[in-house]
Amino acid sequence: MLLLSAEGIFAGYGDMEVLHGIDLTVSEGEIVTMIGPNGAGKSTLMKAIFGLLRPTAGTVHFAGEEITGRSPDRVVRLGIAYVPQVENVFPSMTVHENLEMGAFPLRGDLRERLDGVYKLFPALESRRRVRVGRMSGGERQMVAMGRALMLDPKLLMLDEPSAALAPNLTATVFERIEAINRAGPAVLIVEQNAKQSLKMSHRGCVLAAGVKCLEDSGPNLLENEHVSRLYLGG
Amino acid sequence: MDSFVGVVNYLVFFAITAGIYAVLSLGLNLQWGYTGLFNIGVAGFYALGAYTAALVSGPPPDAWGGRVVGGFELPFLLGVLAAAVVAGLVALLIGLPTLRLRADYLAIATIGIAETIRLVLKNEAWLTNGVWGLQQIPSPLYGLIHRHAMGFLRDRPDLPNWIIQIVSRTYNWFYLLLVSVILFALYTLLKRLAGSPWGRVLKAIREDEDAAAMSGKNVFRFKLQALVLGAMVMGIGGALYAHYVRFISPASFEPLYGTFIVWVMLIIGGTGSNGGAILGAVVVWGIWAATDFITDYLPFTAPQGAALRILVIGVLLEVILVLRPGGLLSPSRRNRRPHPPG
Amino acid sequence: MDALARVPQLIVYGLVSGSILSLGGIGVSLTYSILGFSNFAHGDMMALGAYFALAALSILSGWGLSNRPLGPLSFGPGLLAALLVAVVLTSGSVVLLDRLLYRRLRHAGRITLMISTVGVALGLRNLIQFIWGPQPHYYTTRIQRAVAVPGLGVRIKPDQLFIVAVAVALAVLLHLFLRYTKTGKAMRATSDNPSLARVSGINTERVIVWTWIIGASLAAVAGVLTGIENKFVMPELGWQMLLSIFAAVILGGIGNPYGAIVGGMIVGISEEVSTAFVSTGYKPAVAFGILILMLLVRPSGILGRRE
Repeated sequence: MLLLSAEGIFAGYGDMEVLHGIDLTVSEGEIVTMIGPNGAGKSTLMKAIFGLLRPTAGTVHFAGEEITGRSPDRVVRLGIAYVPQVENVFPSMTVHENLEMGAFPLRGDLRERLDGVYKLFPALESRRRVRVGRMSGGERQMVAMGRALMLDPKLLMLDEPSAALAPNLTATVFERIEAINRAGPAVLIVEQNAKQSLKMSHRGCVLAAGVKCLEDSGPNLLENEHVSRLYLGG
Repeated sequence: MDSFVGVVNYLVFFAITAGIYAVLSLGLNLQWGYTGLFNIGVAGFYALGAYTAALVSGPPPDAWGGRVVGGFELPFLLGVLAAAVVAGLVALLIGLPTLRLRADYLAIATIGIAETIRLVLKNEAWLTNGVWGLQQIPSPLYGLIHRHAMGFLRDRPDLPNWIIQIVSRTYNWFYLLLVSVILFALYTLLKRLAGSPWGRVLKAIREDEDAAAMSGKNVFRFKLQALVLGAMVMGIGGALYAHYVRFISPASFEPLYGTFIVWVMLIIGGTGSNGGAILGAVVVWGIWAATDFITDYLPFTAPQGAALRILVIGVLLEVILVLRPGGLLSPSRRNRRPHPPG
Repeated sequence: MDALARVPQLIVYGLVSGSILSLGGIGVSLTYSILGFSNFAHGDMMALGAYFALAALSILSGWGLSNRPLGPLSFGPGLLAALLVAVVLTSGSVVLLDRLLYRRLRHAGRITLMISTVGVALGLRNLIQFIWGPQPHYYTTRIQRAVAVPGLGVRIKPDQLFIVAVAVALAVLLHLFLRYTKTGKAMRATSDNPSLARVSGINTERVIVWTWIIGASLAAVAGVLTGIENKFVMPELGWQMLLSIFAAVILGGIGNPYGAIVGGMIVGISEEVSTAFVSTGYKPAVAFGILILMLLVRPSGILGRRE
């Protein structure tokens, strides 16, 4: 079932247009990875979907509803969660408080959700009262993702989840993402570390210079020599 | 005819004062308009200039007030030069700790220095005569011009009254000329600087400080130069003021009003534009003078009237900031609605 | 030697003025941390609160609410009610001001916003002077006797104890609010990372309104307390304290409300103690000196994060 559908998105910053008409779909339960060179517009597309940026043209539909240009605090209530690439935690707040913020729109008891997140990231449970600003990159990334999961999103958008991490942690991150996907949400990923990400993706898209140039299943893209040479480092 | 003379004399006074404010605006334009330095202590540098000129060119201390120093009775231009130097030095002292830091810090530091200057002017009577102020500041060439004017009138006893009125105030015309010449000189100098490589670095710093730093410029040094130079210009303005009114006291330099009105002048005239600084001075001073007349006709007490006038200027500032932040003469780019954050 | 002997009493005075500076400084720090700019009109917001209370006091006593002194204090229920009214009116005015002015300038850059706060500062002060005139207005004309504090060799007036108590109570309340309430946490999150706060579903516009409400309320209380301490209010009440408040805020670490409390106390005590050694005319210069010292040594402040 189609979950997210972005059609003909044009967007940019000020006078500079970055996206020149992009279509993207994500279906329920899918993992979709966007790869491409820096400046291609991958992060911009995510921001446009989530409402951090207003598209100059095009529409975004989610679960049947049009959400083009809606502000983030309303989009998040519909079931999309977004983890930015940088500054994706509240550094002066504790792990526990960061997770609480993830469920901000909700009232009532958060214990079940918190337990769910701690089960997924057991290392966080013992450090729930630690200020996130003091934690390592890997732990922060876990907190960032945990925060996003608190609302039980239908779609999780991750902007370069492995960017700030040491290589040995990357495998863990992707393994966690797969686990998250198995439990429910569709996942849309922007990645530089394309190989690992495409390996577990149902579908992949290549974005370059603000347009989508290629789309195929994840494993197929991995095999594709052209893609491999240009974007996967040979 | 007499009322015509009255109007003319008023216009001369108006033009001189507007000219002095224009000098201050030019100084602020160098600091804020070109370089983006947030100086809320304009009145402080202005006061320093005025007092320095008065102490350098004024008469020696007299029996009362408590002053024991100064009064060297040196020529006008030396006083102006000294005023610029002293203002520049204090700007240097303030700039050193603050220019590497955020704009807010410079703002507070300049509020602080203006306040401290005011306290020193009030309390250190040995230097400044305290609240009694400095009197009898000589106006340049006053004796000479006045004698000639009076001689001219004495030789022609049958002139109509209105001519007598105008000629007896010849000195003011001279002073207007003096202020205009100095204003024009400063304007030309600053315009030259704006177009120079130095000026372009300042503008680059205002646009994007990090980019300027990354292209190898010692941003701190440039900012300091702009701050000091701008302060020197303000000091010159202060000297011009002192020699015109011939009596100054701490009360003449109410810090915030002096500073605030210059900011409004620059913003309305056009931040970044030297012509705008001058235009803004004339326009705002005109509005200020107009409100003076208007409140005379309204049933308010004197302090109420004064408060209302400042309120008007304040509201004017806010309206301009919201509707046309670039001011009247600024390049149209600054007036475009800014882009929301990406 | 005589100067040193006065120090303990001056410290007591410093605690009192420090309490007021702290309350003012908290608002400045909160505004800075959540809205991102320094509000130079904060002192005049305090004056606004003080004058709203003045007006409310006379209206309320006209309606029959007595202001008979409670116990050893110099005021009674009338002033306390007036204080509440002042808090409401000042918060309302500031929220309105945000709606009309600051909101429209939010994308224009920090410095433009700060310039506009200077305009607001002057505007508020002159509005007050226009309505009430430049002469002092008295909250009370009673003279209060200071009582000796047993064992410490200092004296303090009951009003002054009240001031310190109010400041402490409000500081504790604020701490509890920020730490444990949903809105408080939303404020902390917005100050930490505004875009992530939006991403998490926090309505940052509402957080901003709350910031103004809390800042303005504390400012109003600080203004009224100033009126109680000095016995009278004047239009320049707030501007006179602005330099000290900002020195306190920067000393404590701009953006950190707890730093504002620490900074306020230190600046208050320093200013008072300095009068033993330097002429009272120079009190504001003491704040300025502290400010410059901090900027030279540690601009991020005592409790601030390293820049």
